[in-house]
Amino acid sequence: MSVTYIDAIRDAQYKALETDETVFIYGQDIGGFGGAFKATKGLQEKWPDRVLDSPISEDAMVGMAIGAAIEGMRPIIEMQFADFSSVGFNQIVNNAATHFYRTGVPIPITIRMPSGGTPGSGPFHSQSIEAIYSHYPGCIVLTPATVSDAYHMLLEGIAMDDPVIYCEHKFLYRWLKSDNYDGDGIRLPIGKARITRPGKHATVVTYSAMVHEAVRAAEMLQAEGWEIEVVDLRSVKPLDTDTVIASVARTGRLLAVGEAFPWGGVTAEIVARVVKEGFHLLDAPPMRLNAKDTPIPYHPKLWAAHRPTPESISHALKQLLAY
Amino acid sequence: MPRIPIVMPQLGESIAEATIIRFNVAVGDTVEMDQEIIEVETSKAIMGITTLCGGVVKEIFAEENTSYAVGSVLGTVEATAEEIERTGVSTVSEGVSDAVDNQGRQSEEETNLHFKTEDGGYFEPKDVAPTVQGLPVPAGKKGAHYISPRMRARMDELGLRAADISAIAGSGGGGRVTVEDLEGFLEYISEWPASPASPMRLAVADAMRRSWSRPLASVGHPLIMDKLLDHRRAQNPKPGLTLYVLRAFALALAEFPSAAGFLIGEKIVHPKSFDIGCAVQVEDGVMVPVIRQVDTKSVSALSAEYAELVDQSRSRRLPEHATKGGIATVTNFGTFGLTWGTPIPLPNETLILGISAGVKKPVWSDQVNAFVPVIEAELVLTFDHRVIDGGDAGRLLNRVAQLLSEPEKL
Repeated sequence: MSVTYIDAIRDAQYKALETDETVFIYGQDIGGFGGAFKATKGLQEKWPDRVLDSPISEDAMVGMAIGAAIEGMRPIIEMQFADFSSVGFNQIVNNAATHFYRTGVPIPITIRMPSGGTPGSGPFHSQSIEAIYSHYPGCIVLTPATVSDAYHMLLEGIAMDDPVIYCEHKFLYRWLKSDNYDGDGIRLPIGKARITRPGKHATVVTYSAMVHEAVRAAEMLQAEGWEIEVVDLRSVKPLDTDTVIASVARTGRLLAVGEAFPWGGVTAEIVARVVKEGFHLLDAPPMRLNAKDTPIPYHPKLWAAHRPTPESISHALKQLLAY
Repeated sequence: MPRIPIVMPQLGESIAEATIIRFNVAVGDTVEMDQEIIEVETSKAIMGITTLCGGVVKEIFAEENTSYAVGSVLGTVEATAEEIERTGVSTVSEGVSDAVDNQGRQSEEETNLHFKTEDGGYFEPKDVAPTVQGLPVPAGKKGAHYISPRMRARMDELGLRAADISAIAGSGGGGRVTVEDLEGFLEYISEWPASPASPMRLAVADAMRRSWSRPLASVGHPLIMDKLLDHRRAQNPKPGLTLYVLRAFALALAEFPSAAGFLIGEKIVHPKSFDIGCAVQVEDGVMVPVIRQVDTKSVSALSAEYAELVDQSRSRRLPEHATKGGIATVTNFGTFGLTWGTPIPLPNETLILGISAGVKKPVWSDQVNAFVPVIEAELVLTFDHRVIDGGDAGRLLNRVAQLLSEPEKL
């Protein structure tokens, strides 16, 4: 039976609720309504006192979850859109992320962030927030790109004692399918990147939905004889520098691709690490490709021009290969 | 009918691009083989681009007053199959056709290596057959001399220098030598007989490589040696011939110290003391012991010190301080029977003075109104042309020759 990315997220929550009685889910309209994207559909029926609707206050949601975590619970928070997690930002980065450092008491909360762009969604329903939360010490930031990773990484994240920012890409929700959770290849632990596609002429390091765009770019260039290696980071924090460096050692060229805005961020971090630790491996200056440095447009055509696409990735790769 | 590309040819070494000044033909014109159809200007000259075969100018993609990389396709000529067969040119490849169909032409803000196509993609000259009528395509502006950090690291691992890879034809972007090219070359030479280079050989190699980074020039001046040889024969023990040259060189430099200065930034640094080195050929290399304040001591006073330094060099027992602080060097390549040479100064010196073997020659004498036999050698001065010019070098060399013509004063 075919499983979508959103099915995997729902099923992982089902499994977590079933196997660990300290797990509960808290979010806006996640109960009877089943969540804006139906990620919690049917869960309240089965666990009415553990799948709870929250007020429209991200600040209150995270604050409550921190309190519950201190008392030994493992809450899952569903942000309706990652964009609005900024309303709960203080609770996440100042309270949750520093709590163990300050008190020795862990905060095992998992915050699900429906992230990334879909056509027509505009500035408030499209943003990618992984870099923001990676910036603060104390958070784990996961960015699954496959159905299997969506399932297993969510379960692993719930089981972790650190606050986990789980960035699930809305574009992949129903588009990405797999025969089963283990149908996407070898399972890896959190913190380990995957070589999605091996190659020898250049490395694309990316994560989340951009993995699929990068693979398409690599397929386009294959026709011209280029073999592009695609590395899926899976988690941006921790960031698997070793796998990235090993790939650059094979190819000598690096393109870091991210859907987030270009200023700073995950791609800049990748480039900085490769330049520092792998300068001697480079045949060309490392490149980055991100969304444009403007708010995310509504119009589908403008949106397509705003984010990296297989065409813009392959164009960047050609520049990199021609250097 | 098939189309033949009009390609920006390789217009000379180290020329990567040229600017089109004028088209001598327009689309639709009939052209003959080797007709000059486009005038281009490079950093060096104005030249013409000719057609590879006769036909009709079908398309022109390039624009006047725009610069194009070597290898760029500037247009096409439509030719008959017979003409193509007669001239043996290759027709437009698929990649070019696509670009032509997309009215591909260079985007001004992009590098000259790119042709923008209408769908927003890029057509790379790389897609063109690698040679057109034997013309190499393309010499990218990055140049063959760029060494990437990766290449540098591999070279460091192997103990290689930039000069070591000059023999390798690069296959990378812009003709760069890639790690793969290097490994291929090393594989290719791995079957050849090889022997380890001695530390002395490597030290000389390093010094010469560093020195060669400057614009060096050589000038020569004849030296009649008879009086010098007579004077030498009359001494006991006989001083080395090199010692006379050393002494004359020091005296000449003392009169004209700036000639031995070296250029550092915007300053000429002048010598503090006229300490002159003397090249001594030893096994598998050259050592240069330095004699101090040669301008203040006569040849006879220097004789013992000179002999000892030469002995120490040959037995490889030269103390390290004895090789330091020279401001110029003298080399007697005449000891190898050579009559001509262009020695290279040490990297930290501006001058080296060489003396060749003496050759017996007839020279006209006004005094006896007849040819008389003389022994003539060549004095050669190699200098860093940043510091002095041919005139200064000539003046210095003249003075050395004049001083050597009065050996009793040395």
